[in-house]
Amino acid sequence: MAHWAHRGRQFFLTALLMAAAVTGFAPSAGAHPHVWATVRSEIVFGPDHNITGIRHAWTFDEFYTAMAVQGLDANGDGVYSKEELEPLAKVNVDSLKEFAYFTFVRVGGDEKFLPLKPPVDYWVEYDDTVLTLHFTLPLETPLDPRDKAVTIDVYDPSFFVAFGFAEKAPVKVAGSPAVGCSANVDTPDPESAEAAKALSEAFFSQLGPGSDYGSQFAQSVMVKCTPQ
Amino acid sequence: MKRSFAGATFLLGLAMVMLGALGAAAQSPPSAFGPPAEQQAAPPAFSAPPKAAPLQARGPLGGVLGWVAQTQQKMQRQLATAVKRLKSGNALSAGLLLAGLSFGYGIVHAVGPGHGKAIISSYVIANEETVRRGILISFLAAGLQALTAVALVSLLLVALNATGFQVNAWVNQLETVSYGLIALVGLYLLVTELIRLWRRWRPATETAHDHGHHHHDHHGHDHAHADGEGGACNHIVDARDIAGPLSWKKVLAVVVSVGIRPCSGAVLVLIFALTQGLFWAGVAATFAMAFGTAITVAVLATMALGSRELALKLGGGDSRWVDAVWTTCAIGGALVVLTIGLLLFAASLGPARPF
Repeated sequence: MAHWAHRGRQFFLTALLMAAAVTGFAPSAGAHPHVWATVRSEIVFGPDHNITGIRHAWTFDEFYTAMAVQGLDANGDGVYSKEELEPLAKVNVDSLKEFAYFTFVRVGGDEKFLPLKPPVDYWVEYDDTVLTLHFTLPLETPLDPRDKAVTIDVYDPSFFVAFGFAEKAPVKVAGSPAVGCSANVDTPDPESAEAAKALSEAFFSQLGPGSDYGSQFAQSVMVKCTPQ
Repeated sequence: MKRSFAGATFLLGLAMVMLGALGAAAQSPPSAFGPPAEQQAAPPAFSAPPKAAPLQARGPLGGVLGWVAQTQQKMQRQLATAVKRLKSGNALSAGLLLAGLSFGYGIVHAVGPGHGKAIISSYVIANEETVRRGILISFLAAGLQALTAVALVSLLLVALNATGFQVNAWVNQLETVSYGLIALVGLYLLVTELIRLWRRWRPATETAHDHGHHHHDHHGHDHAHADGEGGACNHIVDARDIAGPLSWKKVLAVVVSVGIRPCSGAVLVLIFALTQGLFWAGVAATFAMAFGTAITVAVLATMALGSRELALKLGGGDSRWVDAVWTTCAIGGALVVLTIGLLLFAASLGPARPF
């Protein structure tokens, strides 16, 4: 009897070992990005000092750029005109909808993401090396950051696209923010309890295909106002 | 087994060096496809593209994860630089650098999902495959992935003048097909194993000496891998000795199901090289990358087989134990292949990615 209990344990352990070998380093390395995007964002304020939307400029890496513009020089003159690139911008923003525009807006410490409207004012810019997608995402309901701080996260949950802030001027305010309101990059604090919770959630969710692995790489903007 | 692996490594290494040299020879004329970028109109006066800050991640592991991501980004940028340097700098050194970088990129890249490492590891565990065959399957699958990528990009972009997005759409289609085939392979493995078990548990009207599910139809090949480990544990040597016959049909099914899906990383490198007028460099890089990928997958498959070996040994030569391990491996491996195939298949039917 004891013999078989011992066997059972051994069996379980070896099964575990084999499972680890089969899945390889999957949990540690998880998904890996294929596209890199450098993020510059403007938080747009309306005349009433409410946040009305987010104006993104995402600059892609050279590999993705080469793929995206390939074959779009319709007249073959070696120049990618605005007209030739227009369909690209449209395809990009249209298909972004299914991915929540990779933009997640929350108020205070809420878990709930606020709804966004389809992009307006979108176009792509190509400088012969890299492509930049410009678009503005209107909030369905304008937000007043003077009530509660607003957090805007940019990330791809599946981490196929790696979003990273630009080195210089990653975040700006535009329009008419109230005096004392500012938007800044919220640098990850590895020590915080919230971060630890987010990590354990991400760790478990990454085991499934509906992975949220990329949220660990969220690029956060915090809009805060100090009373004047 | 070690000798043949080392041989393959050496040959492929040689092939890479030759490709690099070939690239140097093909340097003039500099472009086989499309005009070189220098001839294009000067870029309009945009502000310089923004530089990215190093990517950071959250949580206690954030430092490690951020480092991994930053390393990948650095490697990709170096790849781009190496391709561009082929046009201007010393072509031979740039070619070798490109091959080396691609190789390293392949090794690291394969650690992520989508290169069939889980599928191949599970397959070799579920079947009575040997380490040698595990390595063979890994290399064949990676080679086919590279071939698919090269064929797809040459056919669509070079021959048919399609757009990058059409290539992307094809990659996605092939991905779905690949995952569907993987699920079918898993299903096939599971059904055959269950049939075999059912036959065995039936009243023993059939052959009295049916050693579990081990085939007895040896094909000359089978004794080769028992070398060097004889004597330690006779039962185990027995089990290893009775590896299943090499079924090319099964091996091909696995190789094709994994390899029909081109690696997205390779497709990106190919298109980038093409736009730089250096398609051949992209092809060389793709194969160097596949070589790196194959090594990672082969190592993982070998680890999986090693753990099965260990499991067999733990029984201390009890034939019932050996039997239980084989059956668990066969059913477990088949289930893993089937489950992963189905999950990925379902996921691949999702909406088209914007980028």
